[in-house]
Amino acid sequence: MTPTLTALGGGFRAEFQQLRRSRLLVVLTIAEAVTFLMLVSIFGLTGSHVPTAVVDRDGGKLARQWAQVMSATYQTYGVRYMDASSAEKALNRGDVAAVLYIPDGFSQHMAHHSMIRIHFRVDNVNADLTNEVELGIPPAARAFAVANHFPGIRVVSAETDLVPHEVGFIPYLVVSALALAAFVVAGTLAASAVAREFETGTLAYLKLSPAHPLIPLAGRLLATGAVSAAAVSVSALLVVVGYGVEPVHPAATAVGLLLCVVIFSCIGAGIGTVVQRALPLSALIFGLALTFYLDSGSLEPARFYGNRLWVIGHTSPAYYAVGILQYGVHGLRVTPETIPVSFAALICWALLAAGAAWLGLRRAVVT
Amino acid sequence: MTEEAELPGDAAQAGGVMPTAEPESGTAELDGERRRRHASSGTASSVVRLAGISCRRGRRQALHRVSLEVQSARVTGVLGLNGAGKSTLLGVVAGLYRPFEGTVWVLGERLPSRGPELRRRIGVVLQETALYEDLTVTENLRLTAALYSLARPARRITEVLELIDLAERAGDMVASLSGGMRRRVTLARALLHQPELLIIDEPTLGIDAEARHAIWEHIRLLRARGTTVIAASNYLDEVQALCDTAAVLHEGRLVANETPASLVAQAGQCLDLDCAADAAAGITDLVLNLPGVTRAEVSSGGLTVFLREDADTDEIVREVLQRAHITGFRVRAADLAEVFGVLDPVRKETA
Repeated sequence: MTPTLTALGGGFRAEFQQLRRSRLLVVLTIAEAVTFLMLVSIFGLTGSHVPTAVVDRDGGKLARQWAQVMSATYQTYGVRYMDASSAEKALNRGDVAAVLYIPDGFSQHMAHHSMIRIHFRVDNVNADLTNEVELGIPPAARAFAVANHFPGIRVVSAETDLVPHEVGFIPYLVVSALALAAFVVAGTLAASAVAREFETGTLAYLKLSPAHPLIPLAGRLLATGAVSAAAVSVSALLVVVGYGVEPVHPAATAVGLLLCVVIFSCIGAGIGTVVQRALPLSALIFGLALTFYLDSGSLEPARFYGNRLWVIGHTSPAYYAVGILQYGVHGLRVTPETIPVSFAALICWALLAAGAAWLGLRRAVVT
Repeated sequence: MTEEAELPGDAAQAGGVMPTAEPESGTAELDGERRRRHASSGTASSVVRLAGISCRRGRRQALHRVSLEVQSARVTGVLGLNGAGKSTLLGVVAGLYRPFEGTVWVLGERLPSRGPELRRRIGVVLQETALYEDLTVTENLRLTAALYSLARPARRITEVLELIDLAERAGDMVASLSGGMRRRVTLARALLHQPELLIIDEPTLGIDAEARHAIWEHIRLLRARGTTVIAASNYLDEVQALCDTAAVLHEGRLVANETPASLVAQAGQCLDLDCAADAAAGITDLVLNLPGVTRAEVSSGGLTVFLREDADTDEIVREVLQRAHITGFRVRAADLAEVFGVLDPVRKETA
């Protein structure tokens, strides 16, 4: 074996032995990757329903139908039937965001196609939910009118979809979360491995050895990369098994995830070289990761954010990673760039990050 | 004569003094390599030669035109107080720091040399222990063996651990070792590849007396086996116990380079007189007129009187007891700070 390979293997083995001793760290790292799935799932769930109390003072068939249509037409309404007193209490406690009063005589008025006023009380402390309530009523009323053949109402919907199937919000988010998990896990482990060498002073001994100090450090990064890949694989498995999302293009998904781990390991190594302290790394990398993540088309395609944000998104490797992962898992094209272009961009990022880490470490280790 | 032409002799003697009977526990290639180096390096006795080097650490100039030669198979002490420039000097020899002025020759190569071959011939123990705490002793050494591409690492690790009496703790995590043991592990790490030149910064820093003597024994053993050692130290007794020569640094300048015995002889003895502060001034005038007294300094407890080595201590004490009021006295060897007092040219002039 050549001296370079021996030194590379030495660094790899030493890092692996250290990680093996830090089982809690490895378990928490894997758990961290999984918690991102929970994070985005909870985020998706919280905005998907406006809890709405319905006080049915009419009790007729059409009144119940109105509430059902409202709930079915605009999926943000989570309807709960209550009496007036309970509904007001729930509104004041914050248990529901709105109370809908269906007045006495509603069914009769509807049957005679005459006008009647229905009353909504909205807890407008949350502007987002208030908007949802306001936006939901017109399409619900239209659907109700169409269902009951009210005169003068004619709605014909003709939609041509760009993609043959629709993907739910949460399945979309969890796939993007894999890119976030790769960033945080690979970045933190790689940065810690490098920063530790500075903190303990062992870097000086690497400098004094005949092997170039970057070789054993590269060995260490290979070990952290392997652990990161394992952690991200657990998350990916959970997406498939737990969320029932089956990748349309498994190979593209696997290669995309692997590239993410490589890029983010290199970025982490660069950060570790600059910071040289292990303690602040997790917070720093998490902060950087979220910025990349939110602006990379992880919540919806980045091109919907407007030109400026979309252009900024292109500077992030997460943008291309999300593009590839959404294609690989859901078959969606969320970026205007083709998948080979996205792959090429990711590889460029990997080379750039590796080069930057190499230069950063070189400056740090060569006096 | 070119600078390269001055060197051929240098490493030759290094080869000459390396004992052929030394157990070469590396590999056949390593043995062959060492023989090749020895054969090529001629016959001079300097393993390290510094010629007028100046070096900065940050904005501070840590070394001022230091010239020094380190002889083969000797222990050379670099003595100085904190901040004197000892670590910088050792760092320059090890190749960690680059001087902005002067030339450095180490084992026949002029620095800066990035050659892995030269690094393979040098072992370094820095002031910081710098071990991987969550690896065992053996695992730490195995990483070093990989960095130096040792062909039979397990065998060599066992040998080195036996040499420094750490074989029983081979499987222990470094985090569980005492300070003295950690220091010995760093020594083992530096010796693993059988260096011709061993550089040790503060070999016994922060460790107890027993461990200190154990490390001294290891260094003496290495010297006996022909390894050239440069050791920086704060302690005069350590240099006396270990070193053949002592280079004394003061504020980055080399102020002496001689045997430890000669240094101590120059500093002579000290007579501490316990007395009240206001009485010390009067006693100073008295003692400075006595034969064998070189100078006197008022200290917190009274007065310290510096005596030549040949001074009649009993006579001086008798004189003081008769003519002044003191509450106690003791005679002792000069310490490092007092040696500096003698060596500092300005103070020398004043004296």
